[in-house]
Amino acid sequence: MQPSHPTPKNSLLAWLDARYPLVSTWNVHVAQYYAPKNFNFWYFFGSLALLVLVNQFVTGIWLTMSFKPSAAEAFNSVEYIMRDVEWGWLIRYMHSTGASAFFIVIYFHMMRGLLYGSYKNPRELVWLIGMLLFVVLMAEAFMGYLLPWGQMSYWGAQVIISLFGAIPVIGPDLAIWVRGDFVISDATLNRFFALHVIALPLVLLILVFMHIVALHQVGSNNPDGVEIKKYKNEQGLPIDGITFHPYYTVKDLFGASVFMFLFAFVVFYMPEGGGYFIEAPNFEPANPLKTPDHIAPVWYFTPFYAVLRAIPDKLLGVIAMGASIGVLFAMPWLDRCKVKSIRYRGASYKVLLTMFVISFFVLGWLGTQPATPELTKLARIFTATYFLFFIILPFTSATERTKPVPERVS
Amino acid sequence: MKKFLSALTILMTLPLTGFAAGGYSIELEKANNSLEDKDSLKRGAILFSEYCMACHSLKYMRYNRIARDLGWEDEEVVAYMTYNQNKAVDTVMTRMLPGVDKEVLGTQVPDLSLIARLKGTDYIYSFLRGYEIDEKTGEWDNKLLHGTVMPNVLEGMQRHMSSEEYNQATRDIANFLEYVGEPAKLKRHDLGWKVLLFLLVLIVIAYLLKKEYWRDIKH
Repeated sequence: MQPSHPTPKNSLLAWLDARYPLVSTWNVHVAQYYAPKNFNFWYFFGSLALLVLVNQFVTGIWLTMSFKPSAAEAFNSVEYIMRDVEWGWLIRYMHSTGASAFFIVIYFHMMRGLLYGSYKNPRELVWLIGMLLFVVLMAEAFMGYLLPWGQMSYWGAQVIISLFGAIPVIGPDLAIWVRGDFVISDATLNRFFALHVIALPLVLLILVFMHIVALHQVGSNNPDGVEIKKYKNEQGLPIDGITFHPYYTVKDLFGASVFMFLFAFVVFYMPEGGGYFIEAPNFEPANPLKTPDHIAPVWYFTPFYAVLRAIPDKLLGVIAMGASIGVLFAMPWLDRCKVKSIRYRGASYKVLLTMFVISFFVLGWLGTQPATPELTKLARIFTATYFLFFIILPFTSATERTKPVPERVS
Repeated sequence: MKKFLSALTILMTLPLTGFAAGGYSIELEKANNSLEDKDSLKRGAILFSEYCMACHSLKYMRYNRIARDLGWEDEEVVAYMTYNQNKAVDTVMTRMLPGVDKEVLGTQVPDLSLIARLKGTDYIYSFLRGYEIDEKTGEWDNKLLHGTVMPNVLEGMQRHMSSEEYNQATRDIANFLEYVGEPAKLKRHDLGWKVLLFLLVLIVIAYLLKKEYWRDIKH
């Protein structure tokens, strides 16, 4: 008797499939996952984020084979990797460049969400899990940055951990608890290493899994912001959908190869990323007795760091910095417009989003600069415009004059 | 709408113009060195041994690595750089006895393994050439780092060499220190274009593959 849907003919696959949902999992998530056919440039960054994640895992594993997580040896062991370990320099640069690439890719990926309303009903949970991923990724990157034990590693961590001290009542004790010492020290390096190589990667992996499962439950959004599930053919398949494999696997292969080209260019020809990916002061070993003139976090934290410095009060600054990230979680509810894609949204959202993006870039630049009075004034203005996006949005989006949305993807 | 958005962008970024990053007190001289120039690196290594190693070390650098990268035999590198006082596997240590720097100069002499990555090659070049006699005190001072305790060890060169020889000698030292900062740099540059070429081929193949698969998708 022939079954109605094909079972694997290959005997090993049949054996496996009887014991594990191999074929059905593959079908649900890849071979028969229907994605809208009109994905554009912005839709490369999900799969690219996965690629960079794999890069960080693989290079990270090899780095741990030669890295020594102790204050006395960490800096030396990084130089040992750079000089004496076969291909160590390449592995290290792939990891350090990978950290910056991760944030570039993730910022594009998040921008896609803001452009096409990917956070809206029914994808709120996809967005929330994604935001959690972003926060965990920031923690992962922050702890990884301490490990080379250079001056900037050390003092950057010193500044950020001391922020815990601003919390009323429990703050100072909490900061000591986090560091395991009164200052950043060997104990801090050791625990950051544990968190960086085990705890947080594990959380990242689980969240990535949930992010994809949640996405596949509701289906992907697209640049038109219309639901492809509304129009189905006789077989019940979305007319405007195409299977992820092979169509998007080959398309993403192309995207991945272009990405790898750019990535390799940085790794081989500008691994310091113009002083932004690896900062020059980090080539001096950590010295608890010598504070650098100018402490700046790595570029991907600088927008939030600029918000922190813009507020004169330490506790309020910490709250503002937390809010600048935390408020993004609320996007599905702050944006009350039913139209998803920016293509059919009104002028108010376009203006607000432009203002927000400019504020983000300017704050990012300000965070790299010393806090002079003029620049602090600027940081305050742009902190205001950054938050203005979230404050105005609920009002304008409720009564936005949108354009008619097409029934099907264009 | 597009015009309005670009006007908004210009308006918001306008206040930023006019803020340039500050640098050193003087303009750095360009070293114009080249890591491809192995002879320059060899001369730089020997000059480093003769003029710098009395106080400075390169603790992450091994003699045999220098030999391999610069095109010397192991016996040659120890002969040229240490007068056969070291083994080829040793790292480049200072000839100064421990603690003497604190006693004589009142400070710890820095290891120079990573100085090029910390300060840049042009900084080293400008620093080496920055010594002038201070007219008030009659003593040597460095215009890049006023009051440095490092003596003008290249004084002999500065006085007796022609300006071309002097330029070349200081460039050679800066070049060598850039190499020491990242010995893999030469290999990196040499491998990079091959990897990029491979990826370029991959991009073309991936693009054609995508195009072929997507022919049956109607838009």
